[in-house]
Amino acid sequence: MQQLMLRYPTGKTALSGLTLDILQGQFVYLVGESGAGKSSLLKMLYGGVRPSSGLLMAQQIDMRQASESRIRDIRRRTGIIFQDHKLLFARTVFENVALPLRVQGWKTERLIPRVRKVLQYVGLEDRLWSYPEALSGGEQQRVAIARAMTANPAVILADEPTGNLDVETARRVLDYLMDLNKQGTTVIMATHDLHLLKSHPGRVVQLHAGSLAGDYIDY
Amino acid sequence: MTTEVIPDRVNTRLPGGFNLPPFGVHQILALIIVCIALWAVGVLWLGMQTAGQWVGSWQDDIHIHVYLDTQKADNAKELEQGLAAIPQVASVRLISQQEAARWMQEWLTGGGLQQDELAKRLPITFELSLSDERSQFLFADIRDTARRFGGKVNEDEVNLAQVHDLLSQAGLLAWFASLIMAVAMALIISNTLRMTLLARADEIHLMRLLGAKEWFVRTPFILEGMVLGAGAGVSAWLLLWPVELAVGEWLNTMQVDLNIWILLLPLLFGGAVVGSFGALIATARVVSSEASA
Repeated sequence: MQQLMLRYPTGKTALSGLTLDILQGQFVYLVGESGAGKSSLLKMLYGGVRPSSGLLMAQQIDMRQASESRIRDIRRRTGIIFQDHKLLFARTVFENVALPLRVQGWKTERLIPRVRKVLQYVGLEDRLWSYPEALSGGEQQRVAIARAMTANPAVILADEPTGNLDVETARRVLDYLMDLNKQGTTVIMATHDLHLLKSHPGRVVQLHAGSLAGDYIDY
Repeated sequence: MTTEVIPDRVNTRLPGGFNLPPFGVHQILALIIVCIALWAVGVLWLGMQTAGQWVGSWQDDIHIHVYLDTQKADNAKELEQGLAAIPQVASVRLISQQEAARWMQEWLTGGGLQQDELAKRLPITFELSLSDERSQFLFADIRDTARRFGGKVNEDEVNLAQVHDLLSQAGLLAWFASLIMAVAMALIISNTLRMTLLARADEIHLMRLLGAKEWFVRTPFILEGMVLGAGAGVSAWLLLWPVELAVGEWLNTMQVDLNIWILLLPLLFGGAVVGSFGALIATARVVSSEASA
């Protein structure tokens, strides 16, 4: 991204002159105060909002000029994890995790083995037919991770995935994301939990008032 | 790849595509309201069917009578020839005064009148059989001819003969009423689906975030509208049978035989089309708003 700028219709400038490169396979923490532009940057990376000016290339696609169909393609190759999980509480864990595959046209009979496999990975294989409300906050976040990884995305965007979790559960969530990253998935994670960087080091991109305030590798 | 059996208790209702969303109380209420509206449309068209058959049962036998005062008896021959010259008049018959008096006495069921005395007071009467009562200028021609020779047309009979005009106007009104009902039903279904859409806004938003195509997001709701409309149509058709049972026998005495089956497909498909249209209206502006700070 070069000289990236985002101004919302309300007039608020979320990002201003941001120039940054994130390579395939990196684990990147986006840090900064509330309103620094972390969530806006993540939104732009999956086409939720378009840059007002500047250049943003995501997965070889110019996000300013991309058609709706290209944006859909990007979203199919991107796993998104939200702070509030965005799980469907009227649907089972299976239905929640299967949703990205369903969107991509998978047949129902192929879904179950794949969903079971990713739930096994996050340690929830016995909760396949449970409803999210029966799960703890940490389990719900693990379901959200399972949903994000189920379609084998090239990139995972995580918007404060540990925000509502206790330290131990947050560490476990980070373990999963780190593990996915080791398997080649690019992970970009907005967070306030700076203490996690000690146990799970990575590249840190610091934003302040919509601008780049720091970019370093934390070991 | 191993295939796994879904447990019996579990009903996988994956959202999107050709999967119907679950029916709730809003949908059932909408189905009832649309069913009542479609039933009213069905009753309206049954009424049209009844009117058509009833009119058809006696319209073929209708005759127009033209009267000529006995003081103008000299014009009778010319009037008869003039009436016979009208192309849509099949035949002209001079009714004798005795026959007219006899008929009138029968009609008055005795009445205590002297038939000879009555015959003297009756005008000269011509009975016209028509070959095409729908012809545009036929009745104007008959009136003109009668007036030219001092005669007079029985206007009540003319009105009866022209009842098909009224029927076709009533038919247009029935179409208009059906159209208004269809729009109202589409709006009712649209409103119901709108509530469902609002209730499931998170799900729709999530599907879009995952890269779902618009047809994938909207199809379940359009299917729901279609099923709702078609269900209401079939229910409305079933509810027409009690009407048939209630009045069918009485209508038979008027040589009217109601055919309910003919309304099944129009109500079924009409309901489905109206439901789909309502769903299209409802889903036309489903926007997942993200571009706000």
